Amino acid sequence: MSNVLRPYLAAVRSTLTAALTLENFASQVVERHNKPEVEAGGSKEVLLNPLTISRNENERVLIEPSVNSIRLSIKIKQADEIERILCHQFTRFMMQRAESFIVLRRKPVQGYDISFLITNTHTETMLKHKIVDFIIQFMEEVDREISEMKLSLNARARIVAESYLTAFNT
Amino acid sequence: MILLESQNYIIQTTLTEKINKPSSLDVQFVDFDGVRFHLSTPERKTSLLLSMHIRCWDELVKYGALDILRREYGVLLLDQAEQEYNVSLDIDLEQIPSDPAAQEAFILSVALFKRNALAAPFERGFKTQKELEASGGAPGELMEIHYRDEEAIYVQASPDRVTVIFSTVFREETDRIFGKVFLQEFVDARRQPSIQNAPQVLYSNRDPPLEIRHLSGLRAADDIGYVTFVLFPRHFLNATVAGSTISHIQLFRDYLHYHIKCSKAYMHSRMRHRVAEFQKVLNRAKTEVATTERKTATGRTLISR
Repeated sequence: MSNVLRPYLAAVRSTLTAALTLENFASQVVERHNKPEVEAGGSKEVLLNPLTISRNENERVLIEPSVNSIRLSIKIKQADEIERILCHQFTRFMMQRAESFIVLRRKPVQGYDISFLITNTHTETMLKHKIVDFIIQFMEEVDREISEMKLSLNARARIVAESYLTAFNT
Repeated sequence: MILLESQNYIIQTTLTEKINKPSSLDVQFVDFDGVRFHLSTPERKTSLLLSMHIRCWDELVKYGALDILRREYGVLLLDQAEQEYNVSLDIDLEQIPSDPAAQEAFILSVALFKRNALAAPFERGFKTQKELEASGGAPGELMEIHYRDEEAIYVQASPDRVTVIFSTVFREETDRIFGKVFLQEFVDARRQPSIQNAPQVLYSNRDPPLEIRHLSGLRAADDIGYVTFVLFPRHFLNATVAGSTISHIQLFRDYLHYHIKCSKAYMHSRMRHRVAEFQKVLNRAKTEVATTERKTATGRTLISR
């Protein structure tokens, strides 16, 4: 992990840990309903201040806490067209499998690439610090994965081009 | 397998098999670029009829495909092609040379049926270049081969070179971007000293190159790319070199798209692996749920519904 990345991830980790104080909270608007307040947005008084942690203009994390749920959205670095398409493919691939990633949201919040929704049920059935670990590890590895995929694409393209053109010599 | 082969594998294996053990058959199969084949035994088991349908047949005939096929196959070529097909070969299994080497060469030449038909404009281009070099005239005729629905090959001979232009369509955004990376490498690869002798490659996205800009029916869209190969006389110095250049350059489009699809498949398997890793990390967060059997005082088991 580079030295620039470390404080960024540390900030996300401590903010997320602090925000993960969730309790069971039934809807105040509809009787016998219990929904994530950050998604429903029905009652303003249970929403807390959203917080953005930015590494630079292309990479940031938005944390929106509420009384019984928290939404975390990540904007992944996309330097050029290739990284943009690879990032899109990767996040899409993951979000299609959202039901096995219990905390993953099927659609990202606008302006971000991938979103997670953690509710009080999740913090009750799963270990809180391990959920935080998962999100931090995801952030760490997704950048690396995308740059590795880009490198392998370039390497493959080079080999393909060279072997095609070398065949003209024979 | 990085390079694609220009012979048709099905023709090759079927013929080898049928020479050893003739039996009646009727198979239809395809090759690159929507070329259809039909291999059948209409009369007797030892007489095979191989027919080919190729989209741009009329254009190929115009550029002398029939002469080339006659040169390659001689009496095998039928005057009247099978219905629904463009050209037919009649192969008598009893007349095939029994010498193993000659037999293999014969099978290979039949398997190169499509390659030979498509070679016509290239051979003509090479011939025109020789004539122009002697006379020093203006660039020769621009030959168009619309071998796919929206894609075409253009061949033009000049006094000092033969230009081959491929137009290719990338249907998807991902293909377009991957294609750009690949084609950029084709342009850059020539800087390497070991492949300085390869033909020069130029690539333009969206805008057609100058040679074909006057043609009508060219669509200017972001998903179209034009690749230009400049073949110099050293690439068709003698019949062997020219032959291998033709076989090789014909498959350029298929080669490019094949490798784009391969990279996409590789990315996919990579993502699958990475997502499985993430899944493991998340599973670590789950707490163990006690699964002991619960019983009531009377000894009956509690079952949750």
